Amino acid sequence: MDLTGSHTLNAPVATVWAMLMDTDILARIVPGITRLEKTAENEYLAIAEIKLGPVSGAFTGTLSLSDIRQNEGYTLHVKQNSKIGNADATVSIALNALDDAQTEISFNGNARLSGLLARTGQRVISGVATTLTKQFFANFEQELATDPATHS
Amino acid sequence: MTNFFKKMSNKFIGQSIKRVEDKRFITGKGRYTDDIVLPGMLHAHFVRSPYAHARVVSIDMTEAQAMPGVIAIYTGDDVKDLNGVPCGWQVNFRNGETMREPKHPMLIATGDTAKHAGDPVAIVIAESKAIATDAAESVQIEWDELPAVANPAEALKPGAPKVHEQFPDNTAFDWSLGNPIEEVDAAMAAAAHVTTLEFVNQRVVPNAMEPRAYIGAYDEVSDKYTLYTSTQNPHLIRLLMCAFVLGIPEHKVRVVGPDVGGGFGSKIYHYTEEALVTWASKQLSQPVKWTSDRSEAFLLDAHGRDHVTKAEMGFDADGNVMGLRIKTVANMGAYLSTFAPAVPTYLHGTLLQGLYVTPKINIDMTCVFTHTVAVDAYRGAGRPEATYLLERLMDLAALEMGRDPAELRFQNFIPKFDGVTEPGYQTQVALQYDSGDYHPVLERGLEMLGYADFRAAQKEAAKTNKLLGVGFSTYVEACGIAPSAVVGALGARAGLYESAQVRVQPTGKVSVFTGSHSHGQGHETTFVQVVADKLGIPMEDVDLVHGDSDALAFGMGTYGSRSLAVGGSAIIKSIDKVLEKGAKIAAHKLECAEGDLEYAEGKWTVKGTDKSIGFGDVALTAYVPHVYPAGLEPGLDFSSFYDPANFTYPFGCHIAVVEVDRETGKTTLKRMIAVDDVGNVINPMIVDGQIHGGLAQGIGQAMFEGTIYDENAQLTNGTYMDYCMPRADDLPMFETDRRTTPCPHNPLGVKGAGEAGAIGSTPSVVNAVIDALWSGGHQVKDILMPMTPERVWRAMNN
Repeated sequence: MDLTGSHTLNAPVATVWAMLMDTDILARIVPGITRLEKTAENEYLAIAEIKLGPVSGAFTGTLSLSDIRQNEGYTLHVKQNSKIGNADATVSIALNALDDAQTEISFNGNARLSGLLARTGQRVISGVATTLTKQFFANFEQELATDPATHS
Repeated sequence: MTNFFKKMSNKFIGQSIKRVEDKRFITGKGRYTDDIVLPGMLHAHFVRSPYAHARVVSIDMTEAQAMPGVIAIYTGDDVKDLNGVPCGWQVNFRNGETMREPKHPMLIATGDTAKHAGDPVAIVIAESKAIATDAAESVQIEWDELPAVANPAEALKPGAPKVHEQFPDNTAFDWSLGNPIEEVDAAMAAAAHVTTLEFVNQRVVPNAMEPRAYIGAYDEVSDKYTLYTSTQNPHLIRLLMCAFVLGIPEHKVRVVGPDVGGGFGSKIYHYTEEALVTWASKQLSQPVKWTSDRSEAFLLDAHGRDHVTKAEMGFDADGNVMGLRIKTVANMGAYLSTFAPAVPTYLHGTLLQGLYVTPKINIDMTCVFTHTVAVDAYRGAGRPEATYLLERLMDLAALEMGRDPAELRFQNFIPKFDGVTEPGYQTQVALQYDSGDYHPVLERGLEMLGYADFRAAQKEAAKTNKLLGVGFSTYVEACGIAPSAVVGALGARAGLYESAQVRVQPTGKVSVFTGSHSHGQGHETTFVQVVADKLGIPMEDVDLVHGDSDALAFGMGTYGSRSLAVGGSAIIKSIDKVLEKGAKIAAHKLECAEGDLEYAEGKWTVKGTDKSIGFGDVALTAYVPHVYPAGLEPGLDFSSFYDPANFTYPFGCHIAVVEVDRETGKTTLKRMIAVDDVGNVINPMIVDGQIHGGLAQGIGQAMFEGTIYDENAQLTNGTYMDYCMPRADDLPMFETDRRTTPCPHNPLGVKGAGEAGAIGSTPSVVNAVIDALWSGGHQVKDILMPMTPERVWRAMNN
């Protein structure tokens, strides 16, 4: 399943970068995430409650970051095993400073699904993924709006 | 052989008698395996591979084992001594090399690799299904995921992921049939026109209404096992499970196939779950039940079709077919299922003569392993693929040559032969058709269609956004499977006869035991119609017993439209024996010679007199033999085995009319005409029902159904939300009619009707869409099935 998209945020690239590297903020703005624990340098344990169409459940997964380039982007690797199947996603995230106050964030990657997750409608799941992405950026903007000072 | 239709009163035969079994089915009283509850019964759930190809690194059952209500968990290490599920047919390589037959293990043990998504790793047995399911989800398995391949053509490419390490080219066997390739090449080279079509006959899921279910029950006191199973052939399962998998003596095992909710082939095969619940019931001395959920059914019931083909048909300048050259790759899945090797070969290659006098035919077939569940017989089994190939070529050739597709067929049809006064028709591909008369079915189809009017309407429609198209398909198939010596020579590891016992009770009531199994075909009605007519007694006096290995001598089961042609013939043999012995008793009672008697309407009468004795009186005499012929055994109870002399060859003509929306690509099936010749018909309503069901499945393949695997060989449409089944509002009212050419070699003259609908219909629907597109100026050769609006739209707009 391909995961691609982009969104422009009204914030300088350094702010966006800082937020993307802050686990507390990420735990707040990533939809479904209830907990994000740092387990090692650039490695995290994520616990999420997600309802994907007919499939719902608590998902525990590991997140790791690689190819970290400050204010430019990183590669996010998500590995998740659950009762309803496994997901394995690699997504490269790129930041592009449009000007001093605007940053385009784009992502491009692929998720491999197995088990019930795979056969219960990737069409549905990709729809849900789109919804979750929209929610993520909405949350991002809200976070920026709440207290822009803390992120500058 | 005498034709029994001619010497009978036929009070019931030929009548559309309502199915006696329907009363229990439509009032919810059917008793399926999952309805059976045994004392102390436990429930199983399987831990399965989420990956299509992955090595089991470790299995951690600690949490699951500690859960309350969990009785046992067995892994591959516990069942290492059990054999794999066997394959029932051996087709060797062209060069004589033995077919590659990898072991199909019961469970994937630690260190071994799962070969398809859903391959089982452990069986969890608990006090309830819910506990077993929860516990199974708590079993932690560490996997090492490996690359996988689902597409059979991809699997043959160098560097493709290997399914079995020991067979690096992923080839199970290759095979060819027909005339020497040089002769076919020469015929094609000399042809004035060659129609070439590269196509995919896509993989479909059988989708029986009742998911598979099994209960294994071992009884310590008698040291006997009982297996309740949703199967099409209880004795075959007993044979395979006892002799090949578990190594337990057959006489200690009873296999019962109670009411079964559809099979379409998928319930022929012996599955690992069947053997495992039986084995586990012995370990635990308690019955163990497993019922598949719908998701498992999608994933694990053997699938159908899955061919990738290049086919070429050569014509001379007058439109006579001169040659047919075919190269096909067929998907076997990860393991060889019970009948799998026979389906693309002896049930497909042998049908490529079709209805045409094609003088030179050659098929080159390669059967390959992939990381998918097994592919095996699905309604029609090889014959739909053969028909699809031929009939697509025929309509396309007509379009390419500017010929009328019906005329082109008439020109190339094999002339009429009855198989009695003249021999059957010897094809170029091994078979001898029994009897055939092909012109009338197409003539009748054209008449029902109103062909001339249709072509006029099509011309008008071409000016609008709603194109009209007509597609033809004239098919022949091989049913009444099968003469044992023939199939033995072709690699079958079993004979394909059938057995029957007719037990006349002392009161003249009759119990008929058949090795055929009814799971939607209506045997409890049709077979009883035959017996009641032949004995001249009411249908109420006859009871049909099937599906229980302890009740019946033996049985090969139901598939390949064989039940009436083979199983019914075995019943006739037993009835003949009953009547022969009955005549001896009657002659003794009436004090006359046997030759002076005639039997009709349930009694023996001394010819030319009013002296007679009824069937019931003779039956009573047989069991209370006070006044009885000297030297004659008491009783009136006969078993028979019937081994057919040949396959039967039903044929027919299916015509589809479609409307294609030029703007959206949406196809609407406007009419579906089916004129089938299935030989003599016992119950026209049941035959119509079988044809209707087959048509729906055949149309389903053309327009809606098909598996979608992703690049990791994961089935991505394994739910009814994603896998599109045909619905009532997708289908027009079917227009059916029949022609009758009796089978010359079985006593009922029947040929079989279970698969015809699914065999003929698919190409007619695709042909109709292609015809519609050509009428609108889009000279498209092929549209991938299922013909979704998107695919049709792209075909018009590329």
